Amino acid sequence: MSFLTIEHLEKSFGPNKVVKDFNLNVEKGEFVSLLGPSGCGKTTVLRMVAGFEQPSSGRIGIDGQDVVRLRPNQRSIGMVFQAYALFPNLTVAQNVGFGLKVKGTPRNVIDARVAEMLSLIGLADLGSRYPFQLSGGQQQRVALARALAPSPQVLLLDEPLSALDAKIRLSLRNEIRAIQRKLGITTIFVTHDQEEALSMSDRVVVMHQGIADQVGTPFDIYNKPATRFVAGFVGTLNTLEADVLDPKTGHVRLPGGEARLGRPLPAGRITLAARPEMITLGAAGRDTSLAGHITEVDFLGSVIRIRADLGGQSLAFDTFNISHVSPPKVGEKVTLGLNAADLLVIGD
Amino acid sequence: MKRFLAALILLLGITYFVLPLIGMAEFSLSMRRGVYSLDAYRKVIADPQFRQTFGYSVVMALLTIVFGVLLVVPTAFWVRLRMPHLRPYVEFITLLPLVIPAIVVVFGYIRLYNTSSWLPLTGSTFGTNLLLMLGYATLSLPYMYRAVDTGLRTIDVATLTEAAQSLGAGWITILARVIMPNVLVAVLSGAFVTFAIVMGEFTMAALLNRPAFGPYLQLMGANKAYEPFALAVIAFIITWACMGLIQLVTRFSKHTKAAR
Repeated sequence: MSFLTIEHLEKSFGPNKVVKDFNLNVEKGEFVSLLGPSGCGKTTVLRMVAGFEQPSSGRIGIDGQDVVRLRPNQRSIGMVFQAYALFPNLTVAQNVGFGLKVKGTPRNVIDARVAEMLSLIGLADLGSRYPFQLSGGQQQRVALARALAPSPQVLLLDEPLSALDAKIRLSLRNEIRAIQRKLGITTIFVTHDQEEALSMSDRVVVMHQGIADQVGTPFDIYNKPATRFVAGFVGTLNTLEADVLDPKTGHVRLPGGEARLGRPLPAGRITLAARPEMITLGAAGRDTSLAGHITEVDFLGSVIRIRADLGGQSLAFDTFNISHVSPPKVGEKVTLGLNAADLLVIGD
Repeated sequence: MKRFLAALILLLGITYFVLPLIGMAEFSLSMRRGVYSLDAYRKVIADPQFRQTFGYSVVMALLTIVFGVLLVVPTAFWVRLRMPHLRPYVEFITLLPLVIPAIVVVFGYIRLYNTSSWLPLTGSTFGTNLLLMLGYATLSLPYMYRAVDTGLRTIDVATLTEAAQSLGAGWITILARVIMPNVLVAVLSGAFVTFAIVMGEFTMAALLNRPAFGPYLQLMGANKAYEPFALAVIAFIITWACMGLIQLVTRFSKHTKAAR
């Protein structure tokens, strides 16, 4: 049985149903991300697990115990908020020790645990400082230490990196993951940043309009998107409308060429998708070639993103910037190559 | 020209406010003919009735502050956290003491809680003191509520509460260890205003026949020449000291920057 189980969870605010039949099983020590755009219900799910929102229906179990009726302070959870939420009147050490003090833990045990936690986050010398004397990244580290100090069963992270600048965000996400692995704590991470979700998680839940559209490993989510929404939301994806010429062999007509997918397809018109990195300028070594002309060239430094028009449908792809090779020009006729096996058939 | 005009208006304003105070202070020092002396102050301080009424009002002020804080902080916290839609109504209610004269309130009290009522509070000293304290709390409600509400506005009440809850804290712990310390400066501002109001309040104390400082001030004013002015100066010093303390507390609060 899974450590954290969420079954048929639903939540409505008035007539507005924001979470619909949400199911998720999280194993002990697993790091699962809830990924989705604003308003998709991911934070509401997290808040229901924390106990800050009462579900309209459904069950939340932690280590076999149904916690839906328990108040937030009765659940063994640690939470890190986007806005840090450190207590301004307490020092760093007092903040970290707050949860233990509330529990009535002896002073010497609190001191030892606070020292351990501060050392874990690399702020052992800053225990006597007040939150306002710390940078954003340091404050979020303290918030993490504070959440972990009482040894909660589940760690909930509500967009903890969103308020930080890009460089700190990158280093802190590696730190969070390393600490989570070291402690082996079951973690749910809410984010709208796909890069964060893909790089940190054991599994990703892509949410859309209150529904878990797809649950899978980052590799599966990126390479085998189950729905059109997941395909469009995670990474950049080109979609191409194609006519199926032979449903048995997967022979299709694409704008600018034909492809043989080598697997059965539904008859009629279908939507295929391809990641930009799967498409090359020139068809050498590829089993499918498509003819088109360049409509846009964006120089991004190490790569050049090019957009081509294929019989009225647009296709974006990347090439590496090679200093002695000039990028193609707008209007230039080109042949694009790809392998038919890389084409994804997109469902609804 | 514009600057000169502004300075002139400021000077006129200062003169308008300060001149009567100087006159009052000067008169309070003129008890002995021909020289300035502190005789009036000595007489006032030596008066056992002064010490008794002053002491009584200080105790009542402290009790009012404690009651006001216990009433207002949880109310303002709860309204901000869970019932923001009720805020306009609560604000309206807290403003009522400003538009309903104290005399109306105290007559209402006497009518409701007289010795023949179902709750005869005026029938005992303790009951009347309690009634007076509640009356003082009502009078100071607009200031106390606004001060606390402004203090709560400077912190993220919802997130701090949720953070404390996730760490195992119950409501009392949250209020005592998280909310109160972070609105302490605001609470103290409200407390000092309350203190100043109680020390100078006349109507309620007089009509409930309690030995407070306000009625004593009035009694002295009606019967003596110099002493009332000395008392007025003392009352002003108390008020200013309270305002100074508000400033001091604000300045020396260690973590005020973090409340943003």
